[in-house]
Amino acid sequence: MKLLVIEDEISLLGSILEYFEQEDFLCESASSYKDGIKKIEGFQYDCIILDINLPGGSGLQLLQYLRKNKKDDGVIIISARNSLNDKIEGLNLGADDYLTKPFHLSELNARVKALIRRKYVKGSNIMEAGNLKVDLLSRSVTCNNQPFILTKYEYALLVFLLANKNRVVGKQAIGEHLYGEQVDNLTSFDSVYSQIKNLKKKLKDKGYDDPIQTVYGLGYKLTL
Amino acid sequence: MSKSLQQRNTRHLLLWLPLVLLVSSILFYILMSMQAHHMQEKQLALKQHNVWNTFIIQQGNIIPHIIGEYDISERNLVSEERLNEPRDTVLYYPDRKQLLPFKIMTTNFIWKTKPFQVTTYVSSTEISHLIIKVFIAEAVIFILLLIAIIIINRKTSGLLWRPFYTTMETVSEYDITKQNGIKIPAETGTKEFNELNKQLAELIKKANQAYINQKQFVENASHEMQTPLSIIRSKLELLINQPGISEKTAIFLEEITEANDRLSQMNKNLLLLAKIDNNQFPKKEKMNVSELVKSILENQRDQYDQNFSGVKVNIQADIFITANRSLMEILFNNLIKNAFIHNIPNGYIHLSLSKEEFVIENSGPSLSVEPLQLLERFKKGSDESKTTGLGLSLVNQICKLYGFKLLYEYKDKSHTLKVIFK
Repeated sequence: MKLLVIEDEISLLGSILEYFEQEDFLCESASSYKDGIKKIEGFQYDCIILDINLPGGSGLQLLQYLRKNKKDDGVIIISARNSLNDKIEGLNLGADDYLTKPFHLSELNARVKALIRRKYVKGSNIMEAGNLKVDLLSRSVTCNNQPFILTKYEYALLVFLLANKNRVVGKQAIGEHLYGEQVDNLTSFDSVYSQIKNLKKKLKDKGYDDPIQTVYGLGYKLTL
Repeated sequence: MSKSLQQRNTRHLLLWLPLVLLVSSILFYILMSMQAHHMQEKQLALKQHNVWNTFIIQQGNIIPHIIGEYDISERNLVSEERLNEPRDTVLYYPDRKQLLPFKIMTTNFIWKTKPFQVTTYVSSTEISHLIIKVFIAEAVIFILLLIAIIIINRKTSGLLWRPFYTTMETVSEYDITKQNGIKIPAETGTKEFNELNKQLAELIKKANQAYINQKQFVENASHEMQTPLSIIRSKLELLINQPGISEKTAIFLEEITEANDRLSQMNKNLLLLAKIDNNQFPKKEKMNVSELVKSILENQRDQYDQNFSGVKVNIQADIFITANRSLMEILFNNLIKNAFIHNIPNGYIHLSLSKEEFVIENSGPSLSVEPLQLLERFKKGSDESKTTGLGLSLVNQICKLYGFKLLYEYKDKSHTLKVIFK
């Protein structure tokens, strides 16, 4: 999978690149409008992570240029602007998703993967891990072809952890993912904890031997 | 105590003008009496001259005594020291049966080596009547003058100060938070007021600018902070994925993450406050608040405590409000979230929504501060470090924006927040 990250803040760019390289993406980067144009002219990417404020031009202009030239690379905007208008404008211009800074890398990862799946795996949209099969269209899970009944939140939690398989996912990232950006993730740890506990128990009933590890107080890691 | 300009002005006039008039009246009276005495003296002297001339021309054959006119006597009736000086006396007029005041003067003359004393008379009645009449006339004129001065003064000062009152009225309508451009007239016809208006206009312009800058500053500052916050957050996520983290490091990392999240949350709320201040949520739509409140309540219940049993809900169906959807979400979200967070074990939440108002009542720890203070930024009712202290001030700001009334009542560990829609 080829990924292009266009972000002018070098330090943040570095973080994103490192995270996605660990996920076995082929990553390229650009840190200005001109660089970005050069990259998208020359290559095709599965997904472009695009910042709005760039030296030399706006990310939205870049997006416009991309769509005008009939390139259908998936685009996720990451922006410090948390205004609804920017969001709507970005999505209208053809962005596939929009994430506000500061975001969690695990959330970005989940979004990128969901986008790629939507774009390239047409028809069946299934996530597989071990004996688990998650059908993202019908939002149902099976284990060894037996239905695996989960609540709304347990399902969302499982999908999020699967997208970030074998990595430690912070409890803040989980809280925000489950209950939305609106939510104060500072006070939602208790409920994150109880959702994890429930999911763990259900997985154990299916014969998994503790696939979700707790990493000190930091977060959780799913290994299957 | 402060009085109005008109009153103060009149008071000064009423205090000083009569005093000045009184002093000048006394002075006038003294001058007039002196003049009258001088005149009588001259009259007496002239009469003596006339009487003596006639006496000499007639060789002494004139009537020596006419009452009220003159006396010519050969005897020394008047002592030396009273000569040539006007004196007061009274004469009895039998026909009128009354005593009349006179001024008299006696002078020694010599005719054919014989001494004579001539005394002449001038009536004092007329002159004293004249003095009284002039004095009364003068007093009437002075009083009329006093009244006229005060009336004219009031009229003209009312006219003169009119631009001042106009300016004052205009300025009193000024509200910096509304940024409604007020118009102060530049030309008033009076130099001082032109200057005053000019300075005021300048002052208001500067205050507006400072206010806009300050609002802009909060927005820009929190906006600029988002990037470093993102960097910290991303590095922390990478860090917790490093192999071989010791437990101690993990504790540090957790604390850093929590602090950073709090900072992010605070920053997000500050940005939101600034944006509401800067009126950046103009898009309104008609929405079903009943549905909105229901879904938020469900979400919050899922998030905080699925087993919380004390929730009593009374939501009337299909209540519609026209407002910005994001802001309404924040409003109800914060109110309902607060009821869950600041609750006690086995507590209760009573929520009701009607066309007129939204009321949420919950049990909670006792308050250590005034309820209204909690609506201010960074005010917290408890030492809870997990909250930002901005939630209620956001609610307050949104209510202000849409003209809703927000009430906070606290009684016996029961907290009630009421939003009254108009």
